[in-house]
Amino acid sequence: MIDLLLFNATNGLIIGAFYALMAIGLSLILNLSNVINFAHGGFLVIGAYLSYSLTPYLGFWGALIVAPFLTAAIGFLVERLLIRRVYGRDPLYSLLLTFGLAFIIEDGTRQIWGALGKPTSIPAFLSKPLSYQFFFITGYRLFMVAIVVLAIAVLFVLLRYTRAGIRVRAGTLDLETVAALGINIRTLRSLNFAIGIFLAGLAGVLASGQLGLEPTMGDGLLMPSFIAIIVGGVGSLNGTLLGGLMIGVAAGLTAVVFPSASDAIMYVIMAIVLLVRPRGLLGEEGMLT
Amino acid sequence: MSVLRVNKVSKRFGSLVAVSDVSLAVEKGELHAIIGPNGAGKTTFFNLISGFFEPSAGTIEFDGRDITRLAPHKRVALGMARTFQITEIFPELTVFENVRIGAEVTAGFGLRPWINAADQKTVHDRVGEILKLAGIESKADRLVGELSHGDQRAAEIAMALTLKPRLLLLDEPTAGMGDQETYEITRLIRRLHRDSKLTIVLIEHDMRVVFNLADRITVLDQGKLLAEGTPKEIAANEAVQAAYLGKAA
Amino acid sequence: MTSGRMRQGAILAAIWAALIFAPYWMPLFGGYTALGTRVLAIGLGAMSVNFLLGFTGVLSFGHAAWFGLGAYGAGLCLKWIAASTPLGLLAGTLLGGIAGGLLGALLVRRRGIYFAMVTIAFGQVFYYIAFQWSSLTGGDDGLRGFARQPLHLGFATINILNDATAFYYFALLCFAIVVGIMGFILRSPFGHTMIAIRENERRARFLGIAVELHIWIAFTLSCFFMAFSGALYAMVNNFADPRMLHYSLSGDFVIMAVMGGMRTFWGPLLGAVVFVVLQDYISSITVNWMSFIGLMIVAIVLFFPRGLLGLLRQRKAA
Repeated sequence: MIDLLLFNATNGLIIGAFYALMAIGLSLILNLSNVINFAHGGFLVIGAYLSYSLTPYLGFWGALIVAPFLTAAIGFLVERLLIRRVYGRDPLYSLLLTFGLAFIIEDGTRQIWGALGKPTSIPAFLSKPLSYQFFFITGYRLFMVAIVVLAIAVLFVLLRYTRAGIRVRAGTLDLETVAALGINIRTLRSLNFAIGIFLAGLAGVLASGQLGLEPTMGDGLLMPSFIAIIVGGVGSLNGTLLGGLMIGVAAGLTAVVFPSASDAIMYVIMAIVLLVRPRGLLGEEGMLT
Repeated sequence: MSVLRVNKVSKRFGSLVAVSDVSLAVEKGELHAIIGPNGAGKTTFFNLISGFFEPSAGTIEFDGRDITRLAPHKRVALGMARTFQITEIFPELTVFENVRIGAEVTAGFGLRPWINAADQKTVHDRVGEILKLAGIESKADRLVGELSHGDQRAAEIAMALTLKPRLLLLDEPTAGMGDQETYEITRLIRRLHRDSKLTIVLIEHDMRVVFNLADRITVLDQGKLLAEGTPKEIAANEAVQAAYLGKAA
Repeated sequence: MTSGRMRQGAILAAIWAALIFAPYWMPLFGGYTALGTRVLAIGLGAMSVNFLLGFTGVLSFGHAAWFGLGAYGAGLCLKWIAASTPLGLLAGTLLGGIAGGLLGALLVRRRGIYFAMVTIAFGQVFYYIAFQWSSLTGGDDGLRGFARQPLHLGFATINILNDATAFYYFALLCFAIVVGIMGFILRSPFGHTMIAIRENERRARFLGIAVELHIWIAFTLSCFFMAFSGALYAMVNNFADPRMLHYSLSGDFVIMAVMGGMRTFWGPLLGAVVFVVLQDYISSITVNWMSFIGLMIVAIVLFFPRGLLGLLRQRKAA
């Protein structure tokens, strides 16, 4: 029983790390641009397939590094060409725009790489279990978590200590004042969008090693990311991180007792949070609500 | 008894103290002006009275009733109406439609999914009456968003009038207006005060308007109460002169 | 004023004439009666979404949940409880409307993009339930084994089950009743407060309107209308499936409303006609229909945000 609990808690933590990675990207974009990126799952898929196509040339490690950057570059272009046209308009339009984009990306992926799933390979030393007792802790899973932790840590350091990062945080609180100080918020938003998409691309690369490739692989991760943001509190990246981990672990533990409810538990958590603390666990009062 | 009695209210935003220990009493039928240099906390003070924010300390009484923590729409139901510094209207509706919403809500029809002919006539008559009072009856079918600034302000005041206010709060009614428009709005406010006997509190920058209209004046500076009195007393007050001249220098 | 009113009357007459004679003119353009019935149900859904979006200014991106619940409610009632078309419609409407109203109470303090996000997420709850609870709902395969029933009026029986044209007219009658209720509410004092909230929430609040209460009522009404259209839709194919609850269908409804013109009463119906027919047509000629729909959505957002009827209006004003 202890083993089972531990197994599911670990599983949940890994899934939660994934949710958090996706949700933090979404949250960055939401905070600074007031855009809910419906196409976030689509960018995850792009990252995953790019790494698949790059692996024969660059190897596992090369693809792991290059694919997220390429995804971010695509994201940057999409922001420049499309997303920025709806800034300042009714949020309805940014929702619809990214909704349409998600359609195009899914269909485009199918067109380029085919509708059927693709197998992926990971280096042998990563796929072995670390010990016989805890057979479920494979090297790859630890590796995934390590990369997620690293990526989030780097992001938080960038946000805290670099000039652009400080501007992004300031813009989250009060974009008008940041603009009034003469900071180019157009560039800031493009950069911020690209970083958000970078995280989606990275999540895609990591997910492909665990789940395999499919044009719809991003769909299942989008809703949990929304919920992570709502539970954690809109406007707070720490909250989003906490929310992601929380619903991941909760889903993992629920799977022990009541497997068919493991997806439902995150909605229950969201409902409770909205009832008891509508602004979310770490959300600021009056933030975007 | 005072219509409005504000007792030592304060409002803090984080470490910033926007309003500190300000009191105010407004008698029935009085026109009370609030003046002060920029950043004196006038609008914040107004927002505390109308319920936009809750004060950090102090109490507010309306007709002897404590309304310190009452929701804005409930204050409206008690007879407190306000306008905003930047005109708040329904731009894509006509003047008539703008004013009708207030009239229907005040008549208690706001939640009704139907309206009968008699009630409809009552509402229409009331709207007509108010449009006439505000001097914009000829523009009833125009979209408010297309009107001049002065007429938009008159429409906003007309909307406030539908609420049968026992207290009318006007936040810089002549802000951003030319001389002609300022004159028109000043005349309207005077009519409401003299002829309709409304109790009015207004924030105003234009000293001509203030000294022309007000029965009493409250001066705020840096969130604090600086002086209170009749226009004559205020004009002679040295602290007030210092505050204004200090800013001007 | 009078010429404007006459023009309005003429447009209204044209819309109803087109709907009433649809079974006769549609075949000329390659349409079929069941397609017309489908458009009516979907169009009613788009108008219900727009009741909230276009007239209260509140964006729900999870309305498919109420549509789908209406469909399942009708299907389950017909299958297990009572083999009666009106009772099925009633059951579906109550299920979706009540669920929406209860959830709405949790949401009404949220605004704008946050409201949209919360409605999406909660809408998905019902998708999961329908998907997982296969013993009741048939899971991924959908709910089958029910059928709309002939109408027994006492003096006569109308066989809407096998006569597609009779069912079309039954659906049109339902449509007319609900659309009539919507129009009636929008002209009432309550409808005026909805529009006031859309135009300027702060002003509405300081006119003494209890904004949250009014939004909740508008939301709940819209959920009931939505559930009714879902119940009707379930009877078109005698089928309900989890995709009818999914947020991507919510997105489709919003697109229909925007494409037709969300500030207009009839726009969403026009949007639904175009969307349904186009989707039908494009998916029959190419496998890449998703890209076409996606591109169409992007084009609408960037170039025609006021929709088809909005465009007409602008031109008239110019």
